[in-house]
Amino acid sequence: MENSFYTMGIDVGSNFIKLVLVDYSDDPKIIDKQTEKIRKRNPTNVADEMIQNMLTKHDLKYDDIAYLASTGEGDLVKRKRGHFYGMTTHAKGANFFFHDAVTVVDMGALYVRAVKISTDARVEDYKMTGQCASGSGQFVENISRYLGLSIEEVGEVSLQANEAEISSGICAVLAETDVINMVSRGITTPNIIKGIHLSIANRIIKLLSSLKAESPIVITGGMSLNVGMIQAIEEQLAETGKKYIIKTHPDAIYAGALGAALWGGYRHIRLKEKQAVLA
Amino acid sequence: MKSLQQLLTECETLAFDLNFTRAKKWKAEDKSRILVGYLPIYIPREIIHAANGMAVGIMGAGDRKQIIKGDAYYQSYICHFPRGIIEMALDTNLEEFDGFLFPAICDCVRNLSGMFKLSKKGKFQRYFDYPQNFDPFIGGTFYTQEMEKVIDDMFKINGVKVTAEGINKAIKLYNINRQLIEKIYNIRDERPWQLSAVDMYHILRAGLTITVEEHNEILEQVLHHIKEERGEPMDNIRVVISGSFCEQPPIGLIKSIEMAGCYIVEDDFMLGSRWIQGDIKDNTSNPLEALGNAYIHQSTFSSAYYDVGNPKGKRLVDLARKRKADGVIFCAASFCDPALLDRPEMQKECDHAGLPHINFQFHENTGQFKVIKEQAGTFSDSIKLWA
Repeated sequence: MENSFYTMGIDVGSNFIKLVLVDYSDDPKIIDKQTEKIRKRNPTNVADEMIQNMLTKHDLKYDDIAYLASTGEGDLVKRKRGHFYGMTTHAKGANFFFHDAVTVVDMGALYVRAVKISTDARVEDYKMTGQCASGSGQFVENISRYLGLSIEEVGEVSLQANEAEISSGICAVLAETDVINMVSRGITTPNIIKGIHLSIANRIIKLLSSLKAESPIVITGGMSLNVGMIQAIEEQLAETGKKYIIKTHPDAIYAGALGAALWGGYRHIRLKEKQAVLA
Repeated sequence: MKSLQQLLTECETLAFDLNFTRAKKWKAEDKSRILVGYLPIYIPREIIHAANGMAVGIMGAGDRKQIIKGDAYYQSYICHFPRGIIEMALDTNLEEFDGFLFPAICDCVRNLSGMFKLSKKGKFQRYFDYPQNFDPFIGGTFYTQEMEKVIDDMFKINGVKVTAEGINKAIKLYNINRQLIEKIYNIRDERPWQLSAVDMYHILRAGLTITVEEHNEILEQVLHHIKEERGEPMDNIRVVISGSFCEQPPIGLIKSIEMAGCYIVEDDFMLGSRWIQGDIKDNTSNPLEALGNAYIHQSTFSSAYYDVGNPKGKRLVDLARKRKADGVIFCAASFCDPALLDRPEMQKECDHAGLPHINFQFHENTGQFKVIKEQAGTFSDSIKLWA
């Protein structure tokens, strides 16, 4: 194997774009990482700018990157070499953080996906939430905004709850109506937030049970940073009577981008081998 | 010469003009001209050209027309395609068409020919049958008689006598058309990143709504633009799409497959334009016989084609091998009996050949591609990472 080379993975989500620069070798290392909120900008331009800034910061050129891989809404990324599907990249990212991971729960802005993986990060099975947004990060963000909180605060606020008020777990519109009622009934913000988290956690447990998931379960995606959400999942899992180990990583939001960069490195080597055979 | 972008924009507009404005304008320029609409897959367009007519491909309403009356004509377990066609016929889309040909594909299309007849759409409506006996003296003779019936139909409208010279001239033009299309497919085979499958689709579908002479010009120009190597290849898998020969998939579906990391290097979307493989003899005294022989000996394959002695599963695998495809995507319209009945046999053949495959179904007006993108994406990843 070539000593080492650079790969990049970019994960274009609905709200955030995540970028990771990796020094790929037998023992790959994350060199740098960056997250950018899209806001109302053109995602293609944001992605392009992020890549360019990362290259400049490390005194690199496009050609120095052996494989630029996209995931998520990858068609919005220019000059990429390849694209990997979200499940595949989150599986690889989770496997990088925890080699013993056998289940991955990718909690993004628009949906939640539970994926069963092998120890070599191969996707074996998966289940996904339906179209409704009530099981997603975007929904939590909307509710937190209504309650005057920033998305970064909701996790900590949720931990302060003493009597969680459960909202509708089926429909975001009904859940939002529930929240309005709760506010008018004087339910405290921590109890409302905790209720939201429990309601989402309940859906995740259903996904995990239909997947016949096993431990350890690694949470990835933007919602993995929400400590209140993680606690709610743990509480709900405990109620099932089975012992599950939940793992999160401070860089779990980068799991998709990281997985793309790692698979990119793997593909780069395979393509070189193929070329050598053809030559 | 137009730029590639100009050509692609023009083709996209032509491809989805459900009023066939350009064809109707062409007809209005000369009183002896006629428009003959035909449904998928294939008809010998040469005989219509020789009768001073234009064969106009009616590939369905897709996702661009709301179906109101069409649903009253077909049961819920029938595909979407004929609903759109009858909706177009009952609206004004197909006015000024002189006749309609309904190639023998399936029962739905046969019934559709009856509905056109009862509704008195066009001056003739003909269910166009194909030989299933590939002995030229039997099947060939039958096919010649079928073509002669259409020639008679057209003669009754414009009085233009179809001559051997006229058909030979048309054969020459369509030979060029097929050659140019094949050249573009071959370039896409080598460098699929230079022209997307969606662009290719627009180019071919546009050709069904204009004269062959105009289409040849467009193809020449496209070929000129893409013959030079440019652009960077992506690390995509190469796939063959099979099963979309009649009801056409929505453009969003083709895009989704491409965005999921697949180069579509072979397909059966606009199969009629590529039905005859190679040239047809263009200098015989009996060009109808030449057309018949071409159908018998040079046809490609599809589920609507009787394939005794030359099984389509094997031909699909051969085609995938020729295009160096990594896998096959079986992509058929919901309720498409021919495609769905053939699918297990074709899948079995792919399995024997070690060719990975996935399958899904669509309606021409499908608007959600999330699941399809997911399937195609995981298919692509599984081939790239674990095949």
